[in-house]
Amino acid sequence: MTDFRFIGKRISRPDGPDKAAGKAHYIHDLKRPGMLFGKIKFSQHAFARIKHIDTSKAERIPGVKAVITAQNTPEIRIGFLRDNFALKKEKVRQYRDEVAAVAAIDPDIAEEAVEQIRVEYEIQPGIFSPDEALQKGAPLIHENDSRGRARTDNIVPIKFHHESGDLGAGRRSAKYMVEGEYSTPLVQQSCMGTAGCIAEFDMNRNLTLWAKTQIPFLAQRDFNRALSDMGLQDKNTRVIVPTLGGAFGTGLDTHTYEYITILLAFRTGHPVKILYSREEEFAYLSPRQSSQIRILQGCDSNGKLVFRKVEVLQDNGAYTSWGATYPSVMMLPATSLYRVPNVFFDARLVYTNNTYCQAMRGYGNPELTWALESNLDELAEEAGIDSYELRRLNCNLPGETTPMGLKISTCGLKESLESVVKKIEWKKKHKKGKNRGVGMASLIHVGGGARIYKSDASGIILKLDDFGNVYVYHGGVEMGQGLHAVLTTAVAEALGVRPEKVFINPTDTGTCPWDVGTHASRGTFMAGNATLLAADKLRTKIFELATDVYPREVKKSLEKYRKKNPGYQPPEIDFKKAARLENFDIKDGYLSIKDGPAEPWLNLELGRFLRAVHFRSQGQMLTAEAFYDPPNELPDFEKGYGNISATYVYGTQGVEVEVDTETGEVKILRLTAAHEVGKVLNPEGLKGQIYGALAQGIGYALYEELKTEKGRILNPNFKDYKIPTIQEMDFPIDLDFIEIADEFGPFGAKGIAEPGLVPTAPAIANAIYDAVGVRIRDLPITPEKVLAELKKLERR
Amino acid sequence: MKRFDYFLPQSLEEALELKKKIPNSRFIAGGTDLMVQIRGGELKPSALISLRSIPDLSSIEINGSIRIGAMTTVTDLIYNPDLEHQAKLLVDAARRVGSPQIRNVATVGGNLCNCSPCADLALSLLVLEAKARIQSLSGTQDVPLQKFFESPGKSCLSPDQILTDIFIEPVSSNTKSVFLKKGRVKMDLAVASVALLLEMEGEICRKARVAAGSVAPVPLRLQKVEVLLEGQALSPELADLAQRMASESVAPISDIRGTEEYRRQIVGVYVKRGLAQILGWGLV
Ligand SMILES: Cc1cc2nc3c(=O)[nH]c(=O)nc-3n(C[C@H](O)[C@H](O)[C@H](O)COP(=O)(O)OP(=O)(O)OC[C@H]3O[C@@H](n4cnc5c(N)ncnc54)[C@H](O)[C@@H]3O)c2cc1C
Repeated sequence: MTDFRFIGKRISRPDGPDKAAGKAHYIHDLKRPGMLFGKIKFSQHAFARIKHIDTSKAERIPGVKAVITAQNTPEIRIGFLRDNFALKKEKVRQYRDEVAAVAAIDPDIAEEAVEQIRVEYEIQPGIFSPDEALQKGAPLIHENDSRGRARTDNIVPIKFHHESGDLGAGRRSAKYMVEGEYSTPLVQQSCMGTAGCIAEFDMNRNLTLWAKTQIPFLAQRDFNRALSDMGLQDKNTRVIVPTLGGAFGTGLDTHTYEYITILLAFRTGHPVKILYSREEEFAYLSPRQSSQIRILQGCDSNGKLVFRKVEVLQDNGAYTSWGATYPSVMMLPATSLYRVPNVFFDARLVYTNNTYCQAMRGYGNPELTWALESNLDELAEEAGIDSYELRRLNCNLPGETTPMGLKISTCGLKESLESVVKKIEWKKKHKKGKNRGVGMASLIHVGGGARIYKSDASGIILKLDDFGNVYVYHGGVEMGQGLHAVLTTAVAEALGVRPEKVFINPTDTGTCPWDVGTHASRGTFMAGNATLLAADKLRTKIFELATDVYPREVKKSLEKYRKKNPGYQPPEIDFKKAARLENFDIKDGYLSIKDGPAEPWLNLELGRFLRAVHFRSQGQMLTAEAFYDPPNELPDFEKGYGNISATYVYGTQGVEVEVDTETGEVKILRLTAAHEVGKVLNPEGLKGQIYGALAQGIGYALYEELKTEKGRILNPNFKDYKIPTIQEMDFPIDLDFIEIADEFGPFGAKGIAEPGLVPTAPAIANAIYDAVGVRIRDLPITPEKVLAELKKLERR
Repeated sequence: MKRFDYFLPQSLEEALELKKKIPNSRFIAGGTDLMVQIRGGELKPSALISLRSIPDLSSIEINGSIRIGAMTTVTDLIYNPDLEHQAKLLVDAARRVGSPQIRNVATVGGNLCNCSPCADLALSLLVLEAKARIQSLSGTQDVPLQKFFESPGKSCLSPDQILTDIFIEPVSSNTKSVFLKKGRVKMDLAVASVALLLEMEGEICRKARVAAGSVAPVPLRLQKVEVLLEGQALSPELADLAQRMASESVAPISDIRGTEEYRRQIVGVYVKRGLAQILGWGLV
């Protein structure tokens, strides 16, 4: 094994102190000279025709600088299917549709002005569930598609389908099979920092947008298109990402509020900021989709899985964001978690008048794994096989290619199962009942990027200054997950400098090279690989120059050393031979000769070397760039085939619960999470990722749900939308990181940002079943549901 | 949020005068209920009159009976060394209010005057049979807490009155109490809650006081249950009866926090568990 200097060691986060001290600048803190405050008027009707908008009162309020509607601004179409508009002209299709907006000199005036806008609607009966939407003769949410062609149903025209093997034959060979329908609720990402942006035009009509985004470069493309819709052909958007207070997927698309801010800034000629309040964030930002998943799978008499059929129905809401592509990730567990020969997968997305949805951590995987791993336990029960044994028996193995065409390079599923079984004391506790129980669930996820766009690449620039500092320009986004710590470590390790000498620049499309976005657990994998390429180039440049500069400089050092140490006899060194390209090394910021004598004067401080290279005739400054595009494929989603990621991660979580049979409360007694990570780069950061994900997973399992009534969100605040606090995490958590170095991973590492929340809910549901014999198939598992099921059980 | 004026009177008289003078003005204590209502657009007062600078409103005095100033914060209840012994139930309830940040500003008076059926302190003070002292420009008046709450958000106070103090008689040494609260998560407004106080003489219950939260329009005394228990030797069978009676004697609604059915269930279970806990039966 390689001996690392910084990788795998505890290092402090470069962004930590400023964040802890309140010095980091979030979008909330940013101000531009002359900045105005924007505010949006939302429809408050789920489905209606706009008859008239009266903005006259709002316009007359002192301090109001602009009132815009779809009537007095250019049309900007947005969204994955371009079925959404920045401002709505004829119809509103969801409760949160944007019908007007105001820019004013302060937020209170803007709010008052928005209240003074009067809109007349002709209300239509809406559709609030996929089942209703699929009924014959259901009203059409969209009468036409984005190209103006008439639509005939409410099905979103994106197909996700997979068939492999022979389902019928698989079914016939099954001795046991279980069918179940599982559902998941709308949940909100609950970022600490709410959404917001600032838009500012310069006099050349180019735009700068400070945006809370995870995809600065795709956003640039979207915004430039909007500029062109506004008549600003060939104008450019520079996207700058301020410090982010969490994103969890909310930054994976561009948002109506951003386009509205742009329109307001252009109309007024002032910088304009729109910042969502917590209530606005809850009610008017896109949450995670709700889903209904039907699974039928079966095994033979030995417990070998022989077929699996998965059908997904997703409530897309009124418009389509990137988040609609959840099934692209759902296909992974559906086809490739455990070895199953005959698989059918189909996902349908349906328009309704509910809030439209977007990405959230895990991106479809928590939903599908919830269904799959619950169903697998039910199958084990049916077949009379211990559910751990069933999982082990069907374990994926390194080197296999799954039915979806995923090439499994390294695979730690078996190890993770074994870890959990041991740590949760499975054999002692499983099936012992009496209101206490244990459960487990596993997962597969992408760990080497995820090509869902034509490029899955990531660029980096490393720039050296006269003092041996390294400036890093990278398009990935630090949103709290610790990307900058990983980048710092990777650069320090790969280049041979100390972490204190590494400075990560703010993410800015004007200075950083292209990156597709920080999603799909790809940040570390991409940044790491790009760093390795760039650092290698930079070292080569340094070593090339060193052949000439190094001997000269160390000879000067030797002179000084001799003056200080009279009588010193230096060892004989033939610099012609020693100072060759392949003989150099950089360690801790010093250039030296590999395997040379340990004389202090032979260590040349990098800054001194760089100055020597710089300050001479035809001097040079050193930078290096690299563009890493991983060896993965853009799958054909209609066929459900393609190696979407360069590598994959597996993992298992085990949990012990106690169920209060009189109150229905589920108490988690302990939890163990065994995750395959390739290689631990930053142990504290990794733990933070998993702890945080577990809290989110527990929220998904037990507490979180946006409740709606006719498309309106009833609990748009933390008073009634409950996420776990530290008090809900009051049990021992045992983390186990399985390190099997992956050939594609930087230093062997794989991505691990999302997996921590993927199997938590089914592990808890399985433990509840073990404790009290009640199977909940509908998230979240509230005490009411548990109690209701317990009562049913009693009556039986 | 609408703009409003803010006043910081230095005496009760000044506060009451201001209140009389300014139409649509409100008293503000810690603001943890009021500001939420203002920000949510439910209330649009023209002025807030803070009770913060009025002397003596935020002190606790114990000599024989206990006097707690209306402006006493929840944190001050928790950290008062004597209150823990003299009115443990109140301190137990105080510990379950909100977060440390909320407890540092939220006041006893606010908890009562806000008149929420889920108010934790209200519940324990009901069971402790507290009296509320109410001051207006025309004089002072003491009201038993039982008569204080009228409907959600509405107390017996008229707009020109201030709640100044709470009085509690110390409990006898053979009194024990519990406060049980069910939230969706630990830090939450009660989905349902129970405060229970028993004065025991050997096996026999001499006095029982029971109140339940979030199960009626106001914090509710469960007098039927009290009558059931008083004068009786307490047994698990009686506790089962009390459970059923508690479930049946409340009038909850279904809302975003919980269903009617679930609230009935919890109140019953908590009455039973409260009895078991006090009598040291272990879990029943
Ligand atoms: C995050 C959060 C969590 C919370 N958790 C809990 C909880 O767990 N349990 C719980 O019971 N409550 C909880 N609350 C509610 C609130 O904190 C309490 O009810 C608190 O005691 C209110 O006190 P206050 O001083 O803040 O009242 P304020 O908001 O200042 O006032 C409340 C009302 O009473 C009136 N008022 C106040 N004092 C007087 C007076 N002396 N005379 C006349 N009128 C007066 C005001 O005009 C106002 O109408 C929570 C609130 C928040 C924001």
